[in-house]
Amino acid sequence: MTTTTRQAASARGLTKTYGRGDAQVHALRGVDLDLPRGRFTAIMGPSGSGKSTLMHCLAGLDQAGGGTVTVAGIDLGSLDDDALTIFRREHVGFVFQSFNLLPMLTAGENIMLPLELGSRRIDDAARERVHTLADTLGVADRLGHRPAELSGGQQQRVAIARALVTQPDLLFADEPTGNLDSTTSAEVLDHLRRSARELGQTVVMVTHERDAAAYADDVVTMQDGRIV
Amino acid sequence: MRTVFLASLRTHLRRYVAAVVAVAVAVAFVVVVGVLTSGAYSGLMDGLGAPYRNADHVVSAAGWPSFELDPEAAIAFTERHGENAAATGRATLPARANGRRLSETTVGPIAILEEWRWQELSSGRFPASTGEAVVDVYFALAENIAVGNRVRIGEGAAARDVRVVGLVESPSPPAQASMYVTWPQLLRWRDHLHLNAVAVRGEVGQLPEGAKAQSPEGFAAERLTYVQNRVNSLSVMLLLFAGIALFVSVLVIANTFSILLAQRLRDFALLRCVGATRRQVVRSVRREAAVVGVLASLAGTLAGVGLGYGLIALIGTLAPTVPVGAAELPTLWLLGGFAIGLAVTMVASWLPVRRVVRVSPLAALRPDAAVDVHTATGLVRLALATILLVTGPALLGVAMAQDSTALMVAGGGSVFTGVLLFGPVLVPRLVRIIGALLGPAGRLATKNAVRNPRRTATTTASLLVGVTLTTAVLTGMTTWRSSLDEQIGRDHPIDVALTSPKEPVTTDLLDRVHHTPGVEQAVPVGGAVARVTGLDEPILVVTAPAAMHVARDGGAFARVEPEKIRVDSEAFGKDLSLRPGDRVTVRVGDRQARLQVAVGTGWGPAGVVAPETLATLTDAPEPHAIWIRASSGADPARLGSDLDELADPVGATIENGLRTWESLDQQLGIYTWSALGLLGIAVVIALIGIANTLGLSVLERAREHAMLRALGLTRRQLRRMLATEAVLLSVVATLLGTVIGVGFAWVGYETFVTRALSDATMRVPWLSLGVVVLIAALAGLLAAVLPARRAARTTPATGLSLD
Repeated sequence: MTTTTRQAASARGLTKTYGRGDAQVHALRGVDLDLPRGRFTAIMGPSGSGKSTLMHCLAGLDQAGGGTVTVAGIDLGSLDDDALTIFRREHVGFVFQSFNLLPMLTAGENIMLPLELGSRRIDDAARERVHTLADTLGVADRLGHRPAELSGGQQQRVAIARALVTQPDLLFADEPTGNLDSTTSAEVLDHLRRSARELGQTVVMVTHERDAAAYADDVVTMQDGRIV
Repeated sequence: MRTVFLASLRTHLRRYVAAVVAVAVAVAFVVVVGVLTSGAYSGLMDGLGAPYRNADHVVSAAGWPSFELDPEAAIAFTERHGENAAATGRATLPARANGRRLSETTVGPIAILEEWRWQELSSGRFPASTGEAVVDVYFALAENIAVGNRVRIGEGAAARDVRVVGLVESPSPPAQASMYVTWPQLLRWRDHLHLNAVAVRGEVGQLPEGAKAQSPEGFAAERLTYVQNRVNSLSVMLLLFAGIALFVSVLVIANTFSILLAQRLRDFALLRCVGATRRQVVRSVRREAAVVGVLASLAGTLAGVGLGYGLIALIGTLAPTVPVGAAELPTLWLLGGFAIGLAVTMVASWLPVRRVVRVSPLAALRPDAAVDVHTATGLVRLALATILLVTGPALLGVAMAQDSTALMVAGGGSVFTGVLLFGPVLVPRLVRIIGALLGPAGRLATKNAVRNPRRTATTTASLLVGVTLTTAVLTGMTTWRSSLDEQIGRDHPIDVALTSPKEPVTTDLLDRVHHTPGVEQAVPVGGAVARVTGLDEPILVVTAPAAMHVARDGGAFARVEPEKIRVDSEAFGKDLSLRPGDRVTVRVGDRQARLQVAVGTGWGPAGVVAPETLATLTDAPEPHAIWIRASSGADPARLGSDLDELADPVGATIENGLRTWESLDQQLGIYTWSALGLLGIAVVIALIGIANTLGLSVLERAREHAMLRALGLTRRQLRRMLATEAVLLSVVATLLGTVIGVGFAWVGYETFVTRALSDATMRVPWLSLGVVVLIAALAGLLAAVLPARRAARTTPATGLSLD
């Protein structure tokens, strides 16, 4: 079991197909992957290479067609929808391309959202962590604002804070800089790298930008549903 | 633009389903009213003239319907013409058959001569002489009477036995009766007879006083106009409710259009970018609205026709005596209903479509064009709402002071409009207050519910209309009911009075009365048979200190001053020649007393005196009556006939005051339930509206839901969140509507009821109101079922890749 302690997540023989007959698309054709703890891994590849599908399967957003996914020692194939949801709530954090903050909540409320969903008590320690995260990410003075009043970079940093607030085993970022200019992209990527280096956070980023991938410790490249 | 129009129809038509249903329900309502109205016309008019078909003249009251023919004069007139005249009319009489008392029985005349006869034989034969009768088939069915049975009609000296020789159908509703006997036989009960009209052949001659002669056609036309006016006023009432339903569906459609168009704002901007003119975009959307309107109105019209004729068929089966005929298709109503549906759709879509015009082509170029249009509350709107909310209560205050109906309607209208306009400010605040009591998913639901104040306000407004009216009706009816209860308690203090004028009642009878199901309390009433000056027959004189144990007025009627005798003016009826204030001598044996007459009603044929008065008249009073208090929920007809069975063999009669309560209960029940049922249609439309708003919001929030699911919101939590949102909306609308409705009922009470019944008190039916809130909450939950299921189906991954 040494692998599970060293690996934050691993996939074995992962396959996934969409559609049927002529329209059948093989998004994943047998992927083996280990994601070491505390490292920043980038999954690269052109559009349609299967990188997003791989991430969805690793994050428990989607069930794989075949093969196994193990995250934090849990076999995701054995979980039903509710168990998967709770797994995500407790072990995984997400940062999306289009920020995906709830428009009617303030930045602070958005960051606290994952804690509320788990009906966890928001104690002083949690509040402390929110403030530390907000400070680190440079959004401490924006916590009372709604997403519409924030810039794209600020929104994405709020999203990172939200992903980190539960101290997840894995932080997934799906094209996190897709909607940002180069300066803001650099800031966001720097934050992701610092989460790995300074907080020991395992980070997995899906991207098609070479510049973004350059911030990662490891780079995995995909093509036609396979790792190359 | 044609391609765009067709494509958007294909893509979006499914989203209009709820709006289509809302309009269709309202249109169907209008059409059903139309079909029933024409059904009622044809039912009431059929055979209206049948009894007069062979007449040259019809003699009827000159001031009809305010005045009736004087029965004696009309009888004399009919007699004078012999075979050249036939009267129509009826007498309401007690009747017994097969050892049972029949329910309300009317007896009418049937002519021996074929040309005057209008009843249609369905079995047996027509009566040929006195002692024979025919019975209406439906009455025979209800009362289990067959050819060959004997029926005893009338009471006491006027009672006669008749033999049923046939069953007939009575095609002319105004002349209808439950049984028919020959004219000479009917004159046996001439005191009870009311005549509508007399058909005359040949010369009319000297008319009875207050009567007029018309041609049969003129007479039929007069009655027809009357019937039409009655039916028309009923239709207007029903259309009022249909109007409410239409208003609610306007709110639903307007909301649907503003939500759908807001969601497509980006598409419109894009169209403008690639070169579509404003006019082209607007025309395309208007055409879409027209298609929705046509489909909805068509569906509504068809459903209305089906439902209307279904109802007519149902009424024909369940209540064959109700005169409703299968009418021909009321084309005008159908066209009207269709036009109204189309017009309502177009009007409701007008404002939302105008907003589309304002979209700038640049909106398409902005990243993430905010689907979440924040609708601000306009200053004009707020100002108008404030004015209405200030003037409305002022008008209501003046209305209450001056008992003015017009001011009340105006004040109520402006208060309600004010609340509707104020909705975008008021409703979200109320939602927040109630939502603050809930958990995390509830807090998200609260925030979702208030993120678009105007949408929230319109959604709740549609329910608000129905709930306000419902609670006003409930409270108004309860108040009216309780004030009537007090009044009837005075008019009918004794539920059932069993009076034996000749022989005293035995303890055995009292015992058996006690054991009759439905009797809660029975007291024997002591008295003596007395001769009263001015009355031919001896009457019973009683005293009843125990009356307070059974009387509904606490026995007040039985507390008579020593110098007085109080008689039941209703039980003695026409025979009573005594007037209040008369001084009479009451004699029992050789003792006598000089008493002043007072009257009341509701305890049977007996004079009530003070105990000391009775003591001067007799030393040995004997129980001559039993006064009975029925237990609540006792069936009046059943109790009446059970007690009648005990009373009849010993020569006693019963006076059933409970029947009055029953018919009052029935009447109020019919009013209340019809009003609630008709308002229910508006409430159903409103709930479709809530489901619709929620469903459309779910579509536009698909991404958010997917993200929440990714962050760890379980399916269950997501469903609960949406259900909470719907329940919040419906409960807030209901609470607000209840407050306004009870307020309106109070104003109505101050304006109407206090004027009519001075000692009435306002009653609020807390239990019913609680039930209304509960039902609204459940209905809100129901409205959330489909949208929530749909939302929960999206998996996090597919939801996120949505664009």
